[in-house]
Amino acid sequence: MAYKHFEAIEKHAGLLAIGIAIMVSLGGLAEITPLFMEAHSVKAPPGVKPYDALRLMGRDVYVQNGCYLCHSQMIRALRFETERYGHYSTAVESVYDRPFQWGSKRTGPDLARVGGKYSDAWQRMHLMNPRQLVPQSNMPGFPWLAQNTIDGADVQARMRTLRRLGDPYTDADIAAAPAAVAGKTEMDALIAYLQGLGIDNEPTSPASGTATAGNAPASTGGTP
Amino acid sequence: MSSGWSLWVMFLVVINLGITLFLFLWGPRARIPTLPDGTSGHVWAHGVLREGVRRLPRWWLLFSASMFVTAFVYLFLFPGFGNHKGALGWTSHGQLDAAVAANDARLDPLMERFRLYPVEQLSGDPQALQMGKVLFEDNCAACHQRNGKGNILLGAPNLTDNDWLYGGTGKDITTSIRDGRAGVMPPWASLGEDNDNNLVQYVLSLSDSPHDAAKAAAGKPLFATCAACHGADGKGSQAIGAPNLTDHIWLYGGTVTDIHTTIHDGRQGQMPVWSKRLTDDQIHVLAAYVYHLSHMTHDSTP
Repeated sequence: MAYKHFEAIEKHAGLLAIGIAIMVSLGGLAEITPLFMEAHSVKAPPGVKPYDALRLMGRDVYVQNGCYLCHSQMIRALRFETERYGHYSTAVESVYDRPFQWGSKRTGPDLARVGGKYSDAWQRMHLMNPRQLVPQSNMPGFPWLAQNTIDGADVQARMRTLRRLGDPYTDADIAAAPAAVAGKTEMDALIAYLQGLGIDNEPTSPASGTATAGNAPASTGGTP
Repeated sequence: MSSGWSLWVMFLVVINLGITLFLFLWGPRARIPTLPDGTSGHVWAHGVLREGVRRLPRWWLLFSASMFVTAFVYLFLFPGFGNHKGALGWTSHGQLDAAVAANDARLDPLMERFRLYPVEQLSGDPQALQMGKVLFEDNCAACHQRNGKGNILLGAPNLTDNDWLYGGTGKDITTSIRDGRAGVMPPWASLGEDNDNNLVQYVLSLSDSPHDAAKAAAGKPLFATCAACHGADGKGSQAIGAPNLTDHIWLYGGTVTDIHTTIHDGRQGQMPVWSKRLTDDQIHVLAAYVYHLSHMTHDSTP
C-alpha cells in the first residue's frame, strides 16, 4: 500500500462511502448475526407448551391493546429485579411468543412472572378500573374487553398459521379451539393469559437453601 | 455460541482491529509527496486553500494508542473474543450471584435472630417491622391496601381490626400467607328471589343491624343451609374461613345490596399462595408485620 491508494479514497466519495460502510458494519456482523442465527435453534424445554386457544387469544388481546407499551416481560439478571419479579427470564421461555414481548419500557411493572400473583377477581377488577384496587395507579381501565366476545373460527385460523410457523398444535387442538373459547370475552382471555405467565416454565435451579433474603431461586448456570 | 460463529466473531474482531491498527502504525510513516512550499499540492478554490502536510499531534497519537491498549486488555479480561471466556471469568449471572450472596451476608445475622422468635414476639421488633413493611407494600398492598385496611370491593379482609377469617395467631397468619386461602361461598340464586331477600334480612338481624323483622323471621328456617359453614348461631368458623355474621365487620360490604349479591351470586375470595415467591424467612417477617398491624389498631382504638 502506498499513499496513492489513500489518495484515491480521498478523491472518490463513492469509494470512501463503501469503505466506511464496511468498517461500520463489522460491529453489527459480530454482535447481531450469530445471535440472530442461533435464535432459530432455541427449542422449547419439556415443560413449555404452546398457548392453548384461550391464552393465545389473550396474548393477542395483550398485543392489540398495547400492553407492551408500558409493561415488559423480561426480568434482567440484576438483584433488584430478581428480588421483585423472580428468576431472570431465559430465551427458551419465549419460544412460542410471536412476536416476543420482552420490551424495554416499564411504566408499569414487569409481567414475565405475574401468573398467580393475584386472583382472577383481582385481575378483572384491576382491568376494569385499576384505581379500585391501587389508588395511586396511572394505568388506564380497559372495560370494553368485558364486552367483546371471541370468535372461534378466528382462533382456529391463528392456530393454523402458527402451526405453519412450527408451533406443535395438533389437529385435535385446533378442532377443540372453538369450544374452548365459546362464550368467553376478551377479558377472560387476557386474564387466562396473564395467569399463565411464567408459572409453568420458571427455570429449575437448586433450592436456595437457608437464609436468602432474595426470593429468586439460586441462579447457578441457567440458559443465557 | 457454536464454534463456527465463535470463529466468525474472532475473524471480524481481528479484521477490525487489524485494519485500524495498521492505519494507526502506518499513517504517521507514510511518505506523502510534498511540494517545495510544504503542501501536498491539493488545492481548493483555485489555489486559495492549500493542504499542508504536518505531523500528527503527540496527544492524538497517545490517545489513540491508549484506546488500542484498552481494547486488547478488555478482550483478554472479559468475554468478547468469540468463545474466549475472559481471564476474569466474568458473567452477568455470576455478577447476580455475587450481588445476592453479598446481600444475604448482610441480612443473615438479622434473619438468624428473627428465626429465634415466634411471630407474636417478633411483631415487637423494629427491624423486623421495617423489613415487613417493605415486603407488605411490595406484595400485599395491591389487595389489602398500603395501610392494611383491605378492600371490600374485592373482599380483601381488613388486617388492622384483629377480626380473623382463618385465625389470628402467628401460626395461622403464616399459613395464610404461605399456602394461600380459598373462600367458597356458593351462590344461592336457586333458592328464589323471595327467599334470598328474607335471608338478607335474617343475616342483618344476626348483628342487630337495622332489618325487617317479619322478613327476617321468614328467612330464619332457611339459615339451616347456611349453618353448615357459618354455624347455627352465625358466628362462623375459622377452620374453614366462614365469616362471623354477628359482628359489624363485612368482608364484601354490609348494605342490603351487598349482602344480597353475596347470597345470590356467591363469593370466591382468594388469597394467593406466596411460598413460591417469598422465602420462609420473608413470610415469617411478613406475618410479624401483619400481626403487628392488627394489634396496633386494636390497642389504640378500643
